[in-house]
Amino acid sequence: MQYFAGVDIGSTMTKVVIMNDSVLASVIGPTGPEHRKLANRVMEEALKKAKLPFEDITYVVATGYGRINVPFADKQITEISCHARGVAYLLPEARTVIDIGGQDSKGIKLKDGRAVDFVMNDKCAAGTGRFLEVAAEELGVKLEDMGKLSLKAKNAVRISNTCTVFAAHEVITKLSEGAALPDIIAGLHEAIATRVHGMLRRLKIEREVAMTGGGAKNIGLVRALEAKLGFAVLVPPEPLLTGAIGAALLGRDMVKEAEAKGIKLEKAERRLQEATLFT
Amino acid sequence: MPEKAVVKGLAEADRYYQDYGLRARELKKQGQKVIGYLCAFVPAELITAVGMVPFRIKGDVNEPITKADTEMETIICPLVRSCFDMALKGNYEFLDGLVVPHACDSICRTYDIWKYSLNLPYAHFINMPHGTGGPSLDFYKEVLKTFRTSLSGFAGKEISDKALAEAIKLHNQNRAKVKELYELRKSSPPLISGEELTKVLIAAMSLPVAESIEMLGDVIAEVKGRGAPSAQKQARIMVIGAQVDDVAFIKLIEDSGAWVVADDLCPGAREFFSSVDVTADPIAGLAERYLRKIKCGRTYREMEGNYQEYLEDRFGHMRRMIDDFGVDGVVLYIYKYCDPYGFEVPQIKSYIEAKGTPVLYLEDEYSMSTIGRLRTRIQAFLEMLAK
Amino acid sequence: MTEEKKPEERKKRRTATEAAAKIGPMVKASIGGTVQAREEGKPIAYAFIVCGYDEIIRAMDIVPVWTENYAGVCGAKRDAQRFLERAEAENFSRSLCTYALCGLGFDAWREELGEMPPDAPWGGQARPDMMLGSGQILCDPRNKWYQAAQHYMPDVPIYDVGMPWPLYENDYDYREVQDYYVKYIVDELKGLVKFLEKHTGKKMDWERLSELVDLSDRTWNLIWEAYELRKAVPTPMGTGDAMNTMVPMVFMMGTQEAYDYYKDLYDELKRKIANKEGVIPDEKYRLIWGGGLPSWFALSDFNYFNSKGAVFPVETTYRMIEAIYNFDIDLSKITDPLEHIAWRWIKFWTYWHDKARKRHGSHPDVEQLIKYIEDYKIDGIVMHEAFSCRSWHPGLIWKLNLLKKVYRDIPSLVLESDIVDISSYNEADTRARIDAFIDTLEAVKG
Repeated sequence: MQYFAGVDIGSTMTKVVIMNDSVLASVIGPTGPEHRKLANRVMEEALKKAKLPFEDITYVVATGYGRINVPFADKQITEISCHARGVAYLLPEARTVIDIGGQDSKGIKLKDGRAVDFVMNDKCAAGTGRFLEVAAEELGVKLEDMGKLSLKAKNAVRISNTCTVFAAHEVITKLSEGAALPDIIAGLHEAIATRVHGMLRRLKIEREVAMTGGGAKNIGLVRALEAKLGFAVLVPPEPLLTGAIGAALLGRDMVKEAEAKGIKLEKAERRLQEATLFT
Repeated sequence: MPEKAVVKGLAEADRYYQDYGLRARELKKQGQKVIGYLCAFVPAELITAVGMVPFRIKGDVNEPITKADTEMETIICPLVRSCFDMALKGNYEFLDGLVVPHACDSICRTYDIWKYSLNLPYAHFINMPHGTGGPSLDFYKEVLKTFRTSLSGFAGKEISDKALAEAIKLHNQNRAKVKELYELRKSSPPLISGEELTKVLIAAMSLPVAESIEMLGDVIAEVKGRGAPSAQKQARIMVIGAQVDDVAFIKLIEDSGAWVVADDLCPGAREFFSSVDVTADPIAGLAERYLRKIKCGRTYREMEGNYQEYLEDRFGHMRRMIDDFGVDGVVLYIYKYCDPYGFEVPQIKSYIEAKGTPVLYLEDEYSMSTIGRLRTRIQAFLEMLAK
Repeated sequence: MTEEKKPEERKKRRTATEAAAKIGPMVKASIGGTVQAREEGKPIAYAFIVCGYDEIIRAMDIVPVWTENYAGVCGAKRDAQRFLERAEAENFSRSLCTYALCGLGFDAWREELGEMPPDAPWGGQARPDMMLGSGQILCDPRNKWYQAAQHYMPDVPIYDVGMPWPLYENDYDYREVQDYYVKYIVDELKGLVKFLEKHTGKKMDWERLSELVDLSDRTWNLIWEAYELRKAVPTPMGTGDAMNTMVPMVFMMGTQEAYDYYKDLYDELKRKIANKEGVIPDEKYRLIWGGGLPSWFALSDFNYFNSKGAVFPVETTYRMIEAIYNFDIDLSKITDPLEHIAWRWIKFWTYWHDKARKRHGSHPDVEQLIKYIEDYKIDGIVMHEAFSCRSWHPGLIWKLNLLKKVYRDIPSLVLESDIVDISSYNEADTRARIDAFIDTLEAVKG
């Protein structure tokens, strides 16, 4: 029996899955500044959940922003390829993927289950989870409540500033002018959806469209994007795990291909540094 | 008399790359005059013919732009701003003059800022037209004559047709050497890496043409002699863009698992692949090469035939290079605020993709502070090319 | 141009002159006219302003679609964003000229739909039969924009007319090169005429062209005289109005309508001066708009300046004429219309060279500022940095520095935004800067 691990170190959350034909165990935790330590710890937790020793893991693929900080990974693959592979497994009808993370957003075009084109925004906070985070703080609302609140809007307020910092100011001004909170929050979601949709259009959007990443867990954002697209989007059961699942599956694909060709794959040492070493 | 460098070939190129302007400073001490120029559209042949050293000004991707902002708006092409920043920071104190062509808005519309700020003994703007028709060529010949007269005035001596023809011959030899070097990239794997080649070309732009020819000859011999590299790489990449004056970006691609084997760049194939025809009036040959032979986004090529034929005229050489050099994927690398290439992105991308080669379009800011973001995109592109 | 109100409540922009107020409806009618011309099958050309071909187009009854104007209208109506976003979706960088991005986004959308985009401002931009670009010092989009538009309209031919002018240099005077510049321009204009004859099937009426060239000469003189009236204290007209009154100058040059318009403007200004009617009753500070295209969506900022007692008697932006009789050659002696246009072009663009030679370390652009500062009794200078335009906006900082170096220290303000892209604009910040500047002016005056 072969087991494959995917480690996705995002800017905000770290995700690990262990799977063979299906997911056996998964762990999600906040990233924080020390990727290396965290990767070890989260991997340990996942192994415990799966009841497997590390030596039994056939192949480990690391992805995400912090993928270079995973010393026990056999291979590093970009999150673009991993999200594509994850969506191909979870939602095979999807041809376009929208991934909205804490600090970046991406659009991926799929063909035959693989990424063939992509667009990314990782330099401007508007169009990412950060935009909502900053606004939520200004408004005194919990980030996880933003989505639900936005659905109560009667008339979404138009936010004209595309810069996160200025938009946060604009939001306070609108509030003081008497605009309703749900209307403002809906306006913020619309602003993100506009930016993301604008970026996505460079890919020539093809249905079905799937959403992954933290943004997909925000019902307000999902609805705002659907409004822009003009049709419903597909969301996997746990959108945060798509990248890690894709990473594990790409590992499996590589192992199978190597076996078929009789090639030996290079692997890293199956050793986890003790997470408790550094405190 | 100070000794010339004893280091040869790739090591010599590395030396001139790491300490850009080293040779120009030496020559200045020996009493030679150094004329700085922006952009390969300056006919350096005239500078060589008058007995001065042509020196191409470059920026520094690792140096944050600071001083330039006090005089030059930040909406200018970041490469031009970086060049100006380097000048203000004293990197080009050895310059006796500055020659600037009508390349693009970022260069043309900042000429006065350069001129008044640096206050060099000599400055001249070559008002190269945009069009390539008959009247444009005639106009350009007059513009070059004006430049020739002006440069002669500064030098205190005439530039004879004979001297100009000699200089053209040398610069053509230089170009031929570069083309010869590029041939060594065709093999699988290429005998010279993109990083090494870029270094050589950048070093060359700081040297007098005769010394550049010698250095290139040494590099070619060295590369031929040492055999193929052992590294295993997944893909052969061509980089298309306006100007790349540092190895960082090329190295990033090669460190990600690919070879950079071809380009349409400056310095690069675009600058070196076409030569000046030998003509009775050397000015005519120069005008023809710079205005018509070089296919750069700043030049407005007149449309002959239908639209498809027009695209072939403008971009066909890119397709031919993809075929000749066995290119798997193209990276279209354009700086923010670049007008000549910014407008061409959809057309170049669609032209190349229509012929079956994938294209990664990257908009960048010149400075290497963006390297992390670029790395992810390049890696993703290479992953997509594999299989 | 800004009479429309958007969902947010905005005060209607006030103009000081009736002439300026007339412009909005004129532009709307003109744009509607191009859509109608398309339906009637009249020849339509995309065109840029200040390319020297106005009379040629008019003489051949070609209907110009001024693409910069249309983008400006979208900007003024605050409805440019969707076109900018469409251009970005096509992979055009947002750092490019936002007139071009607006136009390219519009064209891509219109060609995709096979009809005008929904609710296109003032009926939309008509599909052209040809596009007239220009290769000159001024700007790259004049070469690249229409070439890029061919991606969406590959059947539409382009003629790129070369219209260079000599820069101010220390190693030669422009008179040493003017002959070959004129020759080139004449050849290019000849080529343009041939191109237009080919694509319209009509022959150029050279007599008519001569008449129109003479008409535009007289219009130039009239505009100059009208604008010189603004020297009066109090000034009867400010830059806010001038951003309207420039329309006939650059979009209707060579037409009787344009000439008549400026005749009316001249008379109106004369009347106002006779009645001592200024832009504002209590004029405290006289400012020059010394460089930069305006933010078309924020022209009401001029009213804000007015509310603080500041007026703009003069601007360099869109002052694209000089009095022909002030040139150092007698243009009336040049009877060939194409040569006439070429000489007028060269003399216009080198107009301030001689003055610059007389002041050590100076530059023609700075001489123009100095002349206006003195003639119009100016207290301070305002510049606008529009981020997407690399033709008019590089060098503004340098110009200010040089002005202060060779002339005198003068209070200055630099505003930052864009011509069309409103996301770059922050009203509160802009007004705060204006307030601070007014304080400086007050301190210097007091």
